[in-house]
Amino acid sequence: MKPNIDEPTNLGLSEKVHAKLRQLQEEGHFAEMRDAYRFGIALALSKGVVPPDISSPRSNIFGVASIDPDKSIYAAITALMDTKQDPVYKWAERLAEWGVEELFTRSQNGQIDFVGLVEEAKLNAGG
Amino acid sequence: MPYKGEASLRFPTDEVRNTLIVFGDNMRGKTSLLNSIRWTFYNYAYGRHLRPIPLHLMPNRESAAEGDWTMEVRVEFEAGGSQYDLRRVAEKKALVSKPERPEDFTVTVHMKKDGAAIPASEIDTEINRFAPEKVSRFFLFDGELLQEYEELLIEGSDQGRKIKEAVEQALGVPALTNGRDDLYTILKRAQKLQEQEAAKVKGMEGIAERQREWYVKRESYETDLRELRIRHNDVRDQRLELEDDLERYEAVFQQKIELDALERKRDEIDQEIKTKSQSRLDLASKVWRDLLAPRLIAMRDASVEEQKRLMVQMNSRIQIETKIEQILDFLRNAVCPTCKQPMEAGKRESRETDLQKLKSELDDIADVSQNLSEISVHIQNISKLLGDGVSARILDIDIDLARREHELSRVENKIEELKDEIKGYDTDEIMRKRKSRDLLQKDETRLSLDIEDREAKIAEADRELKALSQRMTDDVSKSSTKGTQMAKLSEALYDSFCQSIEELRSALRQQVQAKASDAFRQMSTQQAYQGLQINENYGLKIIDHNGEEVAVRSAGAEQIVALSLIDGLSRSGRAAGPVVMDTPFGRLDMKHRKNILVYLPKSASQIVLFVHDGEIRGNDDLSSIAHRIGGQYEIREVSPNHSSLEIRR
Repeated sequence: MKPNIDEPTNLGLSEKVHAKLRQLQEEGHFAEMRDAYRFGIALALSKGVVPPDISSPRSNIFGVASIDPDKSIYAAITALMDTKQDPVYKWAERLAEWGVEELFTRSQNGQIDFVGLVEEAKLNAGG
Repeated sequence: MPYKGEASLRFPTDEVRNTLIVFGDNMRGKTSLLNSIRWTFYNYAYGRHLRPIPLHLMPNRESAAEGDWTMEVRVEFEAGGSQYDLRRVAEKKALVSKPERPEDFTVTVHMKKDGAAIPASEIDTEINRFAPEKVSRFFLFDGELLQEYEELLIEGSDQGRKIKEAVEQALGVPALTNGRDDLYTILKRAQKLQEQEAAKVKGMEGIAERQREWYVKRESYETDLRELRIRHNDVRDQRLELEDDLERYEAVFQQKIELDALERKRDEIDQEIKTKSQSRLDLASKVWRDLLAPRLIAMRDASVEEQKRLMVQMNSRIQIETKIEQILDFLRNAVCPTCKQPMEAGKRESRETDLQKLKSELDDIADVSQNLSEISVHIQNISKLLGDGVSARILDIDIDLARREHELSRVENKIEELKDEIKGYDTDEIMRKRKSRDLLQKDETRLSLDIEDREAKIAEADRELKALSQRMTDDVSKSSTKGTQMAKLSEALYDSFCQSIEELRSALRQQVQAKASDAFRQMSTQQAYQGLQINENYGLKIIDHNGEEVAVRSAGAEQIVALSLIDGLSRSGRAAGPVVMDTPFGRLDMKHRKNILVYLPKSASQIVLFVHDGEIRGNDDLSSIAHRIGGQYEIREVSPNHSSLEIRR
């Protein structure tokens, strides 16, 4: 963990994307909202997205320990992107905001094609 | 009955052209015609399995719906040189609005003989003179019966026993069996007297007591047997009624079975889909690592390369440091490390020059141990982030789910189709009826076994009683009491009647065998057969040219044998007369049909055949008996509940 940077203890989304996150869970794409949240972060990371700050209004949804109990998310973000002087979990929120939005769009055609997304990630990494 | 208003048939009266053929599709009213004759003569009509049709179900439905419940059949005929006019009328009782039971009708029968009315009480007797009711099943013949006659061949079958009784009734055996039964009553009375007398004779009390005990047992067995037979018949009737009912709903039942199986299958697939979907959800919580894997692996691979490069760099540095250490050591001691001699000055200078060069090289190679350590940790951290690769498992589940969902749609569509098809039927009621039928079947079997058991016990009691009676006769005969004399006489008579019954049966069987064989030879297409051989049950076996039984018989052969038996029984049981046959050709091939058509007009004074187009196809099939046909009719459908009779030209 980077020294001298205060990491947030909660993670959230804009209210608009939060509603989409809830819908992803309610429609049975994920067992729990936090699974979709993590997937959203990973999706944004796999695409190499450098997302902007979350637009207001924003709401807290999870405690950090609930989303990242073993600090894997933290490690992945620090490994795959330049977090500059910002707290890593701030980046996590931004990535989740972008990823959940994207995931929601993809879910509109029916089932989420996880395998297809993984294949896309391979192509992105290769490129 | 599908006949509404007035319908009439004119039977041929010509001796040669004595055959009348009535064509009609199934359900149009052929059996109703046979039943109308049966009802006129004997006041009953048969449905399936020879069960009487209740009177309130017999009138035409359309007429009944219009409020006309009256049913009348009139037959004019000649018998024994007299002209008869027989009329039976059923009318709804005045106070009944809609008849729901036979008692809601008044039935009257009227007969005129040569124009003179016969009292109602004498009509049955008059009819039985020329058309005995007990033989009527042979000359008012329903094709459905053929199968029952085939059961005569199965030794010990319940149906076979019943038909045998009917046959013997028809052939006059009851005259002797009634006599035998009466004699048995007299014998019992005599043995009772004998027992009372024996009880007074010293030394015979024990035998008398045992005889009394056996009488009590026998009476109890007989009571049991009577009750068991009543119950057995009752259970059989109930079962047959249910089977008739169930037969109508067989297709629905099969669909219900299929529906239940499909619903179970749907639930199984549903459950599998739920389980697989849950597994997919579990994997979906982990698949985020697979998304990161490609970039992380690329990063790890680059770090591993860097780690290798740093290792090489660190090894070069270690090698130089080692060499510097060795030179410093040499310079410190100034002794050749090999020969241990003091170092020459030239050599020392040379070493010092090397040392300077090595130090310079070392300065050019950075110390990367810290970097190496960091990169190792980095690689380790990346490896920890990589998951187990669950996307391949998700792919397998997705393929499986797609297959299952396709199957589920197919099953659900079929379920909907079946539900539509059986809509309106009470399938639960059908299932209940099937269960009841199965229970009744079990009851019937159990009762049959109980009946056999009681019969065996009665036979045992008879043997014991006979032996005890013999002992009494032997011991008491010296005193020649009245009881002993009566017992001896009635036993002799009883034995004589038993023997006579067997002789009569044997003679009747031979008579039926001869007549049936004659009919069989004329109707069978296989000329090599010798004829038929009768068994104890009046069942007939085919005997081939070597005098051996033909073991395997086709369905057609079974029918010819059954028809031969009917003919043999009909001609053994009464004088020649008219024969009416309903659907007699069911399973026969053309050659056999032709043989039968040629034979029947010769075997009866008048023959009436109710047939459908599948049995006789127009005039071509009838060409061989064209000269014997006195008339042809056709039953035409006016509406589903209304048929009419028309002359066929």
